[in-house]
Amino acid sequence: MSNLFKKIVLPFALVLLGTLSAFADGPKPPSSLSNPFVTLLAIIIVLLAVVIGILAKLVIGSAFLKLQKEKNEKGNSKGIVTFLTILFVGLSANLFAQDKAVSDSTTAVADKAFATGLAGVSETAYYLLGSVVVLEVVIIAALLFMLKAFLAVEKKAVVAEIADASVPAKPQYDWWEKVNSFKPIHQEADIDLGHNYDGIRELDNRLPPWWLYGFYLCIIFAGIYLYRYHVAQTAPLSKEEFEISMAQGEAEKAAYLEKAANNIDENTVKLITDKAALEPAKKIFETTCAACHTATGAGNVGPNLTDDYWLHGGSVKDVFKTIKYGWPDKGMKSWKDDFSPVQIAQLTSYVKSLHGTNPPNPKAPQGTLYVEEAAGKATADSTKKDSSISSLKK
Amino acid sequence: MQVEKFYYDNKTVKWFAYAVLVWGLVGMLAGLWIAIEMYYPPLSMGFAPTTFGRMRPVHTNAVIFAFVGNGIFMGVYYSLQRLCKARMFSDTLSKIHFWGWQLIIVSAALTLWAGCTSGKEYAELEWPIDIAIALVWVLFGINMFGTIIKRRESHIYVAIWFYIATWVTVAMLHIVNSMELPISFLKSYSMYAGVQDALVQWWYGHNAVAFFLTTPYLGLMYYFLPKAANRPVYSYRLSIIHFWALIFIYIWAGPHHLLYTALPDWAQSLGTVFSIMLIAPSWGGMLNGLFTLRGAWDKVREEPVLKFLVVAVTCYGMATFEGPMLSLKNVNAISHFTDWTIAHVHIGALGWNGFMTFGVLYFLIPKLWNTSLYSKKLANTHFWLGTIGIVLYAIPLYWAGFTQAMMWKTFTPEGQLKFQFLETVTHILPMYIARSIGGAIYIAGVVVMTYNLIKTIGKGSFVADEAAEAAPFPAEIKTHGNEYWHRWIERRPMQMLVFSLVAVAIGGAIEIIPTFLVKSNIPTISSVKPYTPLELQGRDIYIREGCYLCHSQMIRPFRDEVARYGEYSKAGEFIYDHPFQWGSKRTGPDLARLGGKYPDSWHYNHMQDPQSMSPGSIMPAYPWLYEDDINAFTTPKKIWAMRKLGVPYPEGYEDKCNADLQKQANEIADRLKGDKLEIKPQKEIVALIAYLQRLGKDIKAAPKQETEKQLTIDN
Repeated sequence: MSNLFKKIVLPFALVLLGTLSAFADGPKPPSSLSNPFVTLLAIIIVLLAVVIGILAKLVIGSAFLKLQKEKNEKGNSKGIVTFLTILFVGLSANLFAQDKAVSDSTTAVADKAFATGLAGVSETAYYLLGSVVVLEVVIIAALLFMLKAFLAVEKKAVVAEIADASVPAKPQYDWWEKVNSFKPIHQEADIDLGHNYDGIRELDNRLPPWWLYGFYLCIIFAGIYLYRYHVAQTAPLSKEEFEISMAQGEAEKAAYLEKAANNIDENTVKLITDKAALEPAKKIFETTCAACHTATGAGNVGPNLTDDYWLHGGSVKDVFKTIKYGWPDKGMKSWKDDFSPVQIAQLTSYVKSLHGTNPPNPKAPQGTLYVEEAAGKATADSTKKDSSISSLKK
Repeated sequence: MQVEKFYYDNKTVKWFAYAVLVWGLVGMLAGLWIAIEMYYPPLSMGFAPTTFGRMRPVHTNAVIFAFVGNGIFMGVYYSLQRLCKARMFSDTLSKIHFWGWQLIIVSAALTLWAGCTSGKEYAELEWPIDIAIALVWVLFGINMFGTIIKRRESHIYVAIWFYIATWVTVAMLHIVNSMELPISFLKSYSMYAGVQDALVQWWYGHNAVAFFLTTPYLGLMYYFLPKAANRPVYSYRLSIIHFWALIFIYIWAGPHHLLYTALPDWAQSLGTVFSIMLIAPSWGGMLNGLFTLRGAWDKVREEPVLKFLVVAVTCYGMATFEGPMLSLKNVNAISHFTDWTIAHVHIGALGWNGFMTFGVLYFLIPKLWNTSLYSKKLANTHFWLGTIGIVLYAIPLYWAGFTQAMMWKTFTPEGQLKFQFLETVTHILPMYIARSIGGAIYIAGVVVMTYNLIKTIGKGSFVADEAAEAAPFPAEIKTHGNEYWHRWIERRPMQMLVFSLVAVAIGGAIEIIPTFLVKSNIPTISSVKPYTPLELQGRDIYIREGCYLCHSQMIRPFRDEVARYGEYSKAGEFIYDHPFQWGSKRTGPDLARLGGKYPDSWHYNHMQDPQSMSPGSIMPAYPWLYEDDINAFTTPKKIWAMRKLGVPYPEGYEDKCNADLQKQANEIADRLKGDKLEIKPQKEIVALIAYLQRLGKDIKAAPKQETEKQLTIDN
């Protein structure tokens, strides 16, 4: 018996160890939460691994039972096959665990390049993780199939035993019986309360101990929770938590900006003329600014950005300021919380690059004429009337 | 001993069963409809009743009160008679109950489509229907207690304890939450405002889940599961403990729907800890169900009824474990306002309530028609369609909810939000598509069941009055030896009723009364002023169109929410909000500080064609707002009602309010004209713009000192 026990426990322990090591160095949480797919996939992978562990245990258990029976009945001829199966299960589970550790480390590498590709995850990482999930599902299916095969044999045996009915069947899962404080079914009459409601009888089994102690634990948890938050005040309530997270966010931001040379503001901003550098700004403009200014910049709710007239100044610095701080009373919101200084600088240059593109359906000019300081060519096609107004203002 | 002969009334059970089938299909199809609208907004067809905001209450009301409601009555009318060994107290009451309830359902659907709503989730129905519900519920109570009192059994069985607790608690919840001041036949205002309204509403909302979707179904489980498995109930003492613990603890957990909101922290904490303590009592029910099947698992493999019941009970266990986990603040910070919640409730709705109802139907119909099920094979097909449907429904939504929450919270290293709100929506659209496929498969299963049951009915012959016999109620109850103390109350249904009421009244009272009476719970802010008449009209349009079903008005104190929406919401901002409009889901962005963010013309264009202003948006268009006129006739009445409820409009303002309304409407119309948008000032869109432009503005005018004071009070 103890021999059998060892045989079952050892492979199982190995499987478990595999799983554990996977926990240790495997699904390393992505450096930032910017990658929920990887996190979620990793969680799924771990969960599936646990399922595989449990299934492997069950398969090994049922296979050994079968092995035992066959030994009793026919000697060892068939037993070897079964033993090999067991070996395979244990090994494959272990191999798989290693396999996963490898794939996870690959993922960690791939993580660094996730900026593009599927769902913010690089394609390699995505497919790698996906294939691990698929592999796990396949293994689960295979294990289920084996389990079914073994149990079918078991079931037949049990049925035969019941038909025999001379010896009470030995409980198959004694830990399960124990953990729930089950009364064996054949002793059920002892705890029958004699109630009968439309044929429904009631037993008086003891409360499952784990359930009862779980209940106590929950009550203790409740006490500690209330004590910590409202009596000892050692845990932060909503508003304190908010202040902590804000301070932390600010600190992280400051630390980054110090290193990143990202400190462009309205005094230091310069016009970018490189078209390729303005591609990201074009995207932002077409998804965000287009709502009011239209994708071409011709203006709709907001003013036309392609003509020579500006409501709040047309210099690089002025446009930067307008985007950064907005003119909230006129409907232009401040974008400094949505976009970084670099992004705003790119946007500014992109807006400037729209000048003179003459898109269809332009909105009528608003504001004052702006003449570029360096070269006065901007006013070439403006009417005389407008320029007289602007000169008045100047 | 003398044996009495009597007949069970099967006719009422039959009618309720038909109602379950019909309303079940209607409610689920409405659900499928709105699930598709979430990725294909043109499905709303520019027609008010088919937009998401009006269809969603139709879906929830239909599946909760029509499908599950009729399911409860079907199961209770069947099991109660047999457990009491008596016919229902009054056939007339049974008939009034049945037709009354169906009438309520029909009028509910019609009024909701017409946009008549109180604006409180799961309690949307307007006051005349609320009164009708209360009346029918009382009649049901008389019929139930009448039956219990004239029973032939000496003791009442655990299923009936659950029916009694259900009845008394639902009555309490419905009456307290529906307190409203009518201004016309189909329009009323909640008596409570802001934080208080939110607390009452979620005390109700959470316990509607507890006492309408859970306790009556536990009662059904206690009857139908041991009957179908032909096994004794596992543990009587577990029944006792989990029953009393469940009803006592459940009622406290409501505030977990309001974590991190402007609700006082102490109430939030009570919601969390009672949710955690609820795990064991809920699991007590699951264990008593599953362990009853000990020694009968071979039957589960063969018998479709048991298959459905087992999955139902398992889903119940999963949902009641997940619920408390979602009540932990750090999990709730992620899950709340996302599709995670939707996935969670559907494990309960599709798994627990749906599968339990199907199991009971497969059990009852052959019995009522004195035949056997037409096809076990079809029932098995239904079982698998249903199970796969649930999985395909839930997993994509869990995924969507988690993904979106993570995207909301992501900052770039420069300290900016990484994703625009709209990006987080378009990103999860594939999950929405998968979810609707899961839902469609589940409905296909229901269609298969309907066919199977119709065929079963066709081959049997209905037994309207089923003959039964039993000994009369014993004059003297014999007890042998030691008897459980609990047997005492099992002989006394009225005491059971009173004790249950006491158990469920405590939690609500301790949470609600201080929030109403202790002023420091809701510190006022002097710059918060009542709505102008036009804004009030606009607010009612906002409520009518169900905007709160996709847009919250509650900025939680998180870094990302403050960066995205502005200063977090304070309790004092909502004191004039009858009803509160915090919402529970962010399919669209939060609107608490929308006022002044965009020009009027943006809103004008956006409501007419949302995609023109935000490409890729899944919001439907609201063309009728540009055609229909504001009903200025109601303005004085609304002002009067608000003053009655404590909003400080000056005495006699009723006479002047429409002039103010006109003035503000003209201003907005003029501004729109400036942007080349021609609209008559009396159109509804103008009122809605006025309301949207007001949102969250008051607090910006508050003196700094006062907001600081508020902070210290909050802390």
